[in-house]
Amino acid sequence: MDIFIQSAAQISIQNPLCDDWFENPIAHTEGYNRSIEPDYKPFINPMAARRMGKLIKRAIATSISAKQSAGLEQVDAIITGTGLGCIENTEKFLSAMVNEGEQFLQPTYFMQSTHNTISSQIALNQKCNGYNCTYSHRGTSFESGLSDALQQMLLGRINNALVGGHDEMTPDYYNMLGKIGYWKQGELSEQILRQSSSKGSFAGETSVALIVGTNKTEHALCKLRDVDLLYKPSETALQDAVQRMLQQNNLQPSDIDALMLGLSGDCEYDAIYTNFANAFGKNTPIAWYKHIFGESFTAPAFGVYAAATCLAKESVPSHLLHNQKNEVKSPRNILLYNHFQNIDHSLILLSKC
Amino acid sequence: MAGSLVVTGMGIISGLGTGKDKTLQALFAEKSAVGPIKHLQTTHTDIPVSEVEMTDEEMKTALHIPQSQLVTRTPLMAMIAAKEAIQQAHLQENKPKRIAFINGTTVGGMEKSEQFYLDFLGNENHKEFIAAHDCGAGTDAVADYFGIFDMTTTISTACSSAINALIIGANLIRTGKVDAAVVGGTECLSKFHLNGFNTLMILDRETCKPFSKNHVGLNLGEGAAYLVLEKAEAAQLRGVQPLCELNGYANFCDAFHQTATSPNGQGPYLAMQGALADANLQPSDIDYISCHGTGTGNNDSTEGIAITRVFGEHIPDFSSTKAFTGHTTSAAGSVEAVISILALQNNFIPANLNFSEKMDEVDITPVTKTKRKDIQHVMNNSFGFGGNDSSCIFSKIK
Repeated sequence: MDIFIQSAAQISIQNPLCDDWFENPIAHTEGYNRSIEPDYKPFINPMAARRMGKLIKRAIATSISAKQSAGLEQVDAIITGTGLGCIENTEKFLSAMVNEGEQFLQPTYFMQSTHNTISSQIALNQKCNGYNCTYSHRGTSFESGLSDALQQMLLGRINNALVGGHDEMTPDYYNMLGKIGYWKQGELSEQILRQSSSKGSFAGETSVALIVGTNKTEHALCKLRDVDLLYKPSETALQDAVQRMLQQNNLQPSDIDALMLGLSGDCEYDAIYTNFANAFGKNTPIAWYKHIFGESFTAPAFGVYAAATCLAKESVPSHLLHNQKNEVKSPRNILLYNHFQNIDHSLILLSKC
Repeated sequence: MAGSLVVTGMGIISGLGTGKDKTLQALFAEKSAVGPIKHLQTTHTDIPVSEVEMTDEEMKTALHIPQSQLVTRTPLMAMIAAKEAIQQAHLQENKPKRIAFINGTTVGGMEKSEQFYLDFLGNENHKEFIAAHDCGAGTDAVADYFGIFDMTTTISTACSSAINALIIGANLIRTGKVDAAVVGGTECLSKFHLNGFNTLMILDRETCKPFSKNHVGLNLGEGAAYLVLEKAEAAQLRGVQPLCELNGYANFCDAFHQTATSPNGQGPYLAMQGALADANLQPSDIDYISCHGTGTGNNDSTEGIAITRVFGEHIPDFSSTKAFTGHTTSAAGSVEAVISILALQNNFIPANLNFSEKMDEVDITPVTKTKRKDIQHVMNNSFGFGGNDSSCIFSKIK
């Protein structure tokens, strides 16, 4: 059975709801970056939008945009990956409780604080009674959701799904994560990230919505061939998983025209990607994406979105390449590999339509 | 459904005690675990809850984890419950090739974050707990404790999390991605969600009264429970005796309101219908429904209405065990799955405690006293915030 990524939409630290980044990515020099907000009026009634947090607005706008691009009235399933859920509302309720005590709290922020608020608000907005699920599993939250959609299509339980990766980064959470080594200090550049000589990366925010389905729609971006999640694999286990995935999809390593890796500029974690690429074959072009979209728990959603865009546009542009300057023309297959602190790992295989 | 899935192990910890035997005894004794708060540090001392008896230190001792090791309460409870399930299924001695751990939780490390939040914001103290805040951190802590898992992920759909974990694990086995899955949920009490539910004004100041006209709300509880799933043939090859079959499951969304349920119970209706269709069973095949039955007016009436829509004139025996365990939120689905399977194995229907009179909204009466009955098929409902509604069916091995 063929499964396709039929459409994609993003709101990020690049220009929102478009592919401008593919030609002209915005360079970022700050450690902390909030997403560029689009005009929400085409997607959400302004009255309703005023009651929504940033993350929900982004999730609804990207979801509607992706549905429209895929020409779908309704989806069979809504699946969201989010590392932190609606953390802004969580923080508001938590701050009030910690600072003002337990007596005079208001329910609004609590009601909107659970991780599955995102999926359920999309379902409410889109009046979708279908399967609804939320994954919150650190750096592989999005891939978990993509895997869920894939398994259900293989089993014939659904024919399509809206799969999203959504995370906001509040100032407080940015500072908290900074205390435990998530971020680089001082001014940043792509060069500094590429050198990867210190710990940490830089922060972005993620909102990516994909429509995946069993129909090859007119503007389908690529095929979704496989998703694998691995827990603390040894190097051998990781290579075995790659071999297994290629074999099951009748591919040789030489059929992979680019690796899309979660390189982030963190010297410790980038070394694992370098080992992976070396084990795979030194001549395979390496692409990355976190240097333009930033790091977040669901940043791997940008990897899938970027690779799907490259397959659809028949090019991996030079600014996405890590180990070479020459554009990769007409890529057929892209293998994505990401890991979260060498704990949770993911492999995703995409092919051109 | 091609290639039946079976449950080969299960484990539980809740206010009723540690393990299946303690749980079964408490159910037969009709003894509620809801009572005054002992462990949770809160000013709301008038709110009854169902707490796990053991302290974090006692759980670490029981698990042979050094006291100095940073593990929060949610994963500690998970380790105790999962250990029982893993041992029963002989997963460690006779390991299936690839095993997934699919864990449901929403509170995550919040019970520590709420204690140290001012430190997180203001200074360097307790910063080691920052990395333990998110839901996935606890899941991976549990996976590390056992060292047998090839993949892990975390479901966070509030009160339906554990059944959704079961659904995802079952699908991963069906497609051949993994050979076995440990699925379920875990949730400790936190000031955060106790206060959250309190602001919603749905906490009963007495023990909850599911499906009873005088119900006023729910009691929160804490606990964890896990099932081991695998294909029937795989269990046979490993020489493990299956406890029951996982016959069908479904998840649908009510898409009505963030915290309230639709008047006609559309989401619960679709979930129960979907599970029946998935299991290829008729409504009349169901011998017992282990209901979500939280004790809130909203849940009980819509769940009741949905049951009448699915089952018509012939409503099977049903009960909610929330008055025993409290509402263990993200763990509720698997806590009640274990109770459902105990009912199936021991041929009884657990009592719906504290029922006095039928609700006005719907003409249904739960089983109020423990009842002996041959059970072939049991349906287990779990509904969550955001209209996240799941149902699954366990059946005796034919």
